[in-house]
Amino acid sequence: MLNVLVIGAGTMGSTHGDALSKMENVSLVGIVDKNLEKAKELGRKLGAEAFGTYEEAIESKPIDVVSICLPTPIHKPYVEKVADQGFHIICEKPLARNLKDAREMIDYCKAKKVKLFVGHVVRFFPEYVQAKEVIEQGSIGNVAVARTYRGGAFPYGSNDWYADYESSGGLVLDMIIHDFDFLRWCFGEVERVYAKSVEKGNERRIDYSLVTLRFKSGVIAHVEGSWAHQTFTTNFEFAGETGIVEHDSSKSVPVRFAGRNQSQSGGGVAVPESPLKKNPYYLELEHFLSCVESDREPIVTAEDAYKAMEIALAALQSIETKKEVELDAFARIGGVK
Amino acid sequence: MKVGIISFAHSHAYGYADAVKRIPGAELVGIADDNFERGKEAASRFDTKHYGSYEELLSQDIEAVIVTSENSMHHEHVVAAAKAKVHVLCEKPLATKAEDAEEMIKVCKENGVILQTAFPVRFNSSIIRAKHIVDQGDLGEILAIKGTNRGTNPGGWFVDPEKSGGGAVIDHTVHVVDVMRWFMGAEVKEVYAEIGNLISEHEIDDCGILTIEFDNNVFTTLDCSWSRNETYPTWGDVTLEIVGTQGTLSVDAFAQKLDVYDKEGVKWNYWGDDMDFGLVNDFLTSVSEGKEPSITGTDGLKALEVALAAYESSKKKQPVLV
Repeated sequence: MLNVLVIGAGTMGSTHGDALSKMENVSLVGIVDKNLEKAKELGRKLGAEAFGTYEEAIESKPIDVVSICLPTPIHKPYVEKVADQGFHIICEKPLARNLKDAREMIDYCKAKKVKLFVGHVVRFFPEYVQAKEVIEQGSIGNVAVARTYRGGAFPYGSNDWYADYESSGGLVLDMIIHDFDFLRWCFGEVERVYAKSVEKGNERRIDYSLVTLRFKSGVIAHVEGSWAHQTFTTNFEFAGETGIVEHDSSKSVPVRFAGRNQSQSGGGVAVPESPLKKNPYYLELEHFLSCVESDREPIVTAEDAYKAMEIALAALQSIETKKEVELDAFARIGGVK
Repeated sequence: MKVGIISFAHSHAYGYADAVKRIPGAELVGIADDNFERGKEAASRFDTKHYGSYEELLSQDIEAVIVTSENSMHHEHVVAAAKAKVHVLCEKPLATKAEDAEEMIKVCKENGVILQTAFPVRFNSSIIRAKHIVDQGDLGEILAIKGTNRGTNPGGWFVDPEKSGGGAVIDHTVHVVDVMRWFMGAEVKEVYAEIGNLISEHEIDDCGILTIEFDNNVFTTLDCSWSRNETYPTWGDVTLEIVGTQGTLSVDAFAQKLDVYDKEGVKWNYWGDDMDFGLVNDFLTSVSEGKEPSITGTDGLKALEVALAAYESSKKKQPVLV
């Protein structure tokens, strides 16, 4: 039995809490949020105690693992605080806002001998996992062109922190880092990055980025991210020498409820669902916790999370300088941004 | 209206010939093709005469000619047609070199004949509808466009750079660049491209992702790869995702299709309007009414310049100004 504490009662905290509360060998010991009412509301739903601070939680509860579901810029102080107690850590992506912080966090956890897992959950989405398997089986040949899309509406976080790009890094660092990580998992290291984005996207609350990656293996990838659309969808296409594998989340929708009455949930708007016994967040957390119990390397390491940040930050640099960014050179100087 | 076709090297010739046959008042006088077997077959299929040389065809009483030869031959054929005072609809890409395209434009102007570049996508009903939505202002100001014009490697002379001038990039950049220029009334400022020879056994560029920035500060990307394999249900596509300040617009120009499952697998049967007919009809109307062509040689040149810049960018591994 592992005792897990969740810090942050926002969207990701709720998602993690919900998955953890359903696991048999896990005790969700508490939800921490500086907005205690928010923590209480989520705690009531999940049958967990609510705390206004991390310090209060650790005084009253036994803890093995802490899941940090907080805005990116405060990942570091919390990771260090939790590591000081010797608890293992699950931290939401991106690991940090800059590479220096990320490296320090990884080193800190190593020194304190605690495990640091980063929530690159796309590696647990069955459609992505299976696409990677198809690629590895070889029936489509070596991949030549990869295309990914991830997007929806401009997000609202607490204090609207997503719109503060100095904190969040915008959609390139916060969202399509998922695709950078997945593509790197499939195709290895990136050689060169070129990217474009909407100017002042945060002020307009419309963001849209188009990123080209050239991998050392030769693969060309086109990564599209949007905070300009109405509903969240993802899609991908891997075109190889002899075949294509593609997926579009807006088409793989087995359940679509459209209520007739406006008062019903989904009233007037069709609510699409893709039900699974275990959702990808559940699979991810279950995997991380099993790595804690059996002292194994996870499918996605903190080092992978660092490398995904390198790609995202190189893309941000390319957007700013309007030039291509050679990733090795960028990594050597630890990233400018 | 007496019309000829020079060469059936490019398979679009079949669609154009079919269009000529269906246009009231148009007569397909003959087909010139130095590939006798192909020329004779096409002539019998479209119930017209085969000429072994384009000079012979141009010396007939014709007003207009459609040039669908190998890309590198466009220059010779268009210049000859212009000098014979015959109006020209030339297959894209207009030429394989910018100098050739410039000379073609100049000679056509000097001889008072129309030079129209064959960009049939401008006559696709879904593209026309999308342009209308953009023109009405419903999208607000355009911020970015993502385009695709993925297709299948046609093989044959297309994979011989001497004849084609290049592979997927020169073949599939120009359609969507033309549509982007047409939608925005803007010109291309800078091009970055990652290009590869990753699919075909032939030594030819068969995949590419271009990033194209326009002088109105709109950034766009385009996938011009020959990445549809033989079992993929279609040979090609044109899609646009347009992000504006007031909304987003998704266009899939060939989405009007049936899904057909037969012994050979799954196929997409397109049932939308025939854009080739629209293109040829527009050209012949301009000729008969003595109008300026709706798509000019300069439009063809501008699109070609982007493809050529893409090759240069890929070689230099950095963005290049157009």
